[in-house]
Amino acid sequence: MAEKILDVQGLETQFKTPEGIVHAVNGVSIHLDEGETLGLVGESGCGKSVTMLSILRLIQSPPGQIVAGKAIFKGSDLLAMSQEEIRQVRGGQISMIFQDPMTSLNPVMNIGKQMAEPMLLHLGITPKEARERSIKLLESVGIPRAGERLKDYPHQYSGGMRQRVMIAMALSCNPQILIADEPTTALDVTIQAQIVDLVIRLRQELGMAIIWITHDLGVAASIANRIAVMYGGFIIEEAAVKELYANPSHPYTLGLINSLPQIQRKGRQRLYSIEGMPPILLQTPKACPFAPRCRWVREKCWQQNPMLESIGENHKVACWVDTTTGSER
Amino acid sequence: MKTDNDILVKIENLVMHFPIYRGVIRRQVGAVRAVDGVSLEIRQGETLGLVGESGCGKTTVGRTILQLYKPTSGHVYYKGTDLAKLKPEPMRLMRKDLQMIFQDPYASLNPRMTVRDIIGDPMFAFGEASGKQIDERVQELLKLVRLDPDFANRYPHEFSGGQRQRIGVARALTTNPSFIVCDEPISALDVSIQAQVVNLLEDLQRDLGLTYLFIAHDLSMVRHISDRVAVMYLGVVVELADRNEIYDNPLHPYTKALLSAIPVPDPTFYETRQRIILEGDVPSPANPPSGCRFRTRCPIADESCALERPEFREVSPGHFVACIKVGMQTNTKEVINQESV
Ligand SMILES: Nc1ncnc2c1ncn2[C@@H]1O[C@H](COP(=O)(O)OP(=O)(O)O)[C@@H](O)[C@H]1O
Ligand SMILES: Nc1ncnc2c1ncn2[C@@H]1O[C@H](COP(=O)(O)OP(=O)(O)O)[C@@H](O)[C@H]1O
Ligand SMILES: [Mg+2]
Ligand SMILES: [Mg+2]
Repeated sequence: MAEKILDVQGLETQFKTPEGIVHAVNGVSIHLDEGETLGLVGESGCGKSVTMLSILRLIQSPPGQIVAGKAIFKGSDLLAMSQEEIRQVRGGQISMIFQDPMTSLNPVMNIGKQMAEPMLLHLGITPKEARERSIKLLESVGIPRAGERLKDYPHQYSGGMRQRVMIAMALSCNPQILIADEPTTALDVTIQAQIVDLVIRLRQELGMAIIWITHDLGVAASIANRIAVMYGGFIIEEAAVKELYANPSHPYTLGLINSLPQIQRKGRQRLYSIEGMPPILLQTPKACPFAPRCRWVREKCWQQNPMLESIGENHKVACWVDTTTGSER
Repeated sequence: MKTDNDILVKIENLVMHFPIYRGVIRRQVGAVRAVDGVSLEIRQGETLGLVGESGCGKTTVGRTILQLYKPTSGHVYYKGTDLAKLKPEPMRLMRKDLQMIFQDPYASLNPRMTVRDIIGDPMFAFGEASGKQIDERVQELLKLVRLDPDFANRYPHEFSGGQRQRIGVARALTTNPSFIVCDEPISALDVSIQAQVVNLLEDLQRDLGLTYLFIAHDLSMVRHISDRVAVMYLGVVVELADRNEIYDNPLHPYTKALLSAIPVPDPTFYETRQRIILEGDVPSPANPPSGCRFRTRCPIADESCALERPEFREVSPGHFVACIKVGMQTNTKEVINQESV
């Protein structure tokens, strides 16, 4: 039995805006086992980034506020730590890479300095050692002439190379958890494939656990061991990767998987489509957030939001309806 | 030029270079060779898919076909007419037939215009309709793209991305065009909305007899929507074939790499798949490699690939490829499989 390295319970995060309170994350519970890769999947605005930023305490307040929940990392609650304690964890034991490397790289500082900084803070090594380690890391992520390139600035790297630099930086302090927020979304498919392969290789070498956020069910299938699907600020389904794609059970997951064209499919079938639009998160959610778009919807779904319940080994779903039979669970 | 009734758009040796200027006197120091010798035929009623990584010249091909750019050289024929030779007035009228749907549903609609004015604008521009006729046409078009006709007096910011893209589609249809360049129309949309828009485009094609050039970087969606697919790399088309042929029997090493990089939503697929991981990045189009443009990243390239631009030749009926290594097909396959992974 694998040990839980991270255990998030009942996380709720809201934003105060002129239009009202945005209920971005509405009681999310997820865990991460040691050494596993969890794929966090869902469309834009469903709360993936806010969930991760909350765990790392990177939500700006105001307008944001974590209103409830715990995030237990190795026995202590990240959400209850002092600023100083969380700073020690962030960028050290837990590190993060983002969709756009330019938002997290300093444009006026060369790569060598930027790489050395967190190592000096977290590892307590000398600048010379940090430099040597930087070169090794850059080489391991496939940056040619790494020694020379330390003095280059971010804009002198291509998009794919910058994302490699970000990965090297994220790994520099031997993290136990790597959180990757859509790190390949802005990249072309061939570069995306390079990055995914790189992370799979590094994960084998270093044995860290990964949370990989994506809206792309294809990318998630290629890298994750287990998948959690988010909708409207809730986790609506969670399963081992093969189980999820073989038996998607929430109407939303089912719809998403069926709406993708199958590359192996020869004939020209009409795509399955989920009608309607993703929810606006301005009300306190009482009904199931997917009810307005669901073809299985019934009275109960409007009155009570279903909890995430186990429906089999390694498979949980939040839905009143058994989509295989069409009757209530 | 051969006149073939079946062919709606014919592009011959299309070249589009954007000059690069430097210094205070803005001297030209080079050119971005965005499109560098592309020949394609688009048949009446079909969807031709155009795929390739960002910056390879897809949008430029689309815009040059529509004469939004004046090509550096080469020809674009529409129903046999050389568009570059048309005088301004006939070209203006020709524009009714040739339309475009844009990638970004947020940037492509004027935020200060109502939906009615956005959709009706092409009718104003051609100055041939009364206000009432425009109102009626706008209502009709909104219904056609499955939006509520009552939305006519609203502004773009009141709509979601998927709804805006429908407005963009309606605007493209205002003048009853025959040919539409769809430039990554679903790339910016949420996954659950993409299928809605693709289904709409397919229905409109069937009902109105439209011909599409469908530009995309999502290869699985392109297979779904296209009849034939052209693959571009750094300003040139490297392969062209029927949709099933190109996915089942890709010949160009770049096409193979691109297909092997598609993220497939099926975890069992990854247990057996052999990925061809390309090294490095795409070179700059201002300074492309000599000979074959793909040779700097190609797993099977050798010195001979640097010598000449490979000819775009038909290796089996309807299947074109630009690679000197393709010919003894089985050989190429073996070599690539050895070098992959
Ligand atoms: N700073 C903020 N102010 C107001 N609303 C926000 C803010 N950040 C995020 N949100 C809202 O929270 C919801 C979840 O956002 P996010 O977690 O970024 O989604 P995603 O799943 O795309 O990563 C969205 O509706 C978004 O608009
Ligand atoms: N108006 C322009 N001026 C200068 N360069 C351009 C212009 N439009 C496109 N380019 C360049 O031409 C190349 C091809 O661009 P584009 O056709 O937009 O590619 P794609 O649509 O395949 O991403 C790119 O290098 C791009 O920077
Ligand atoms: Mg996000
Ligand atoms: Mg483009």
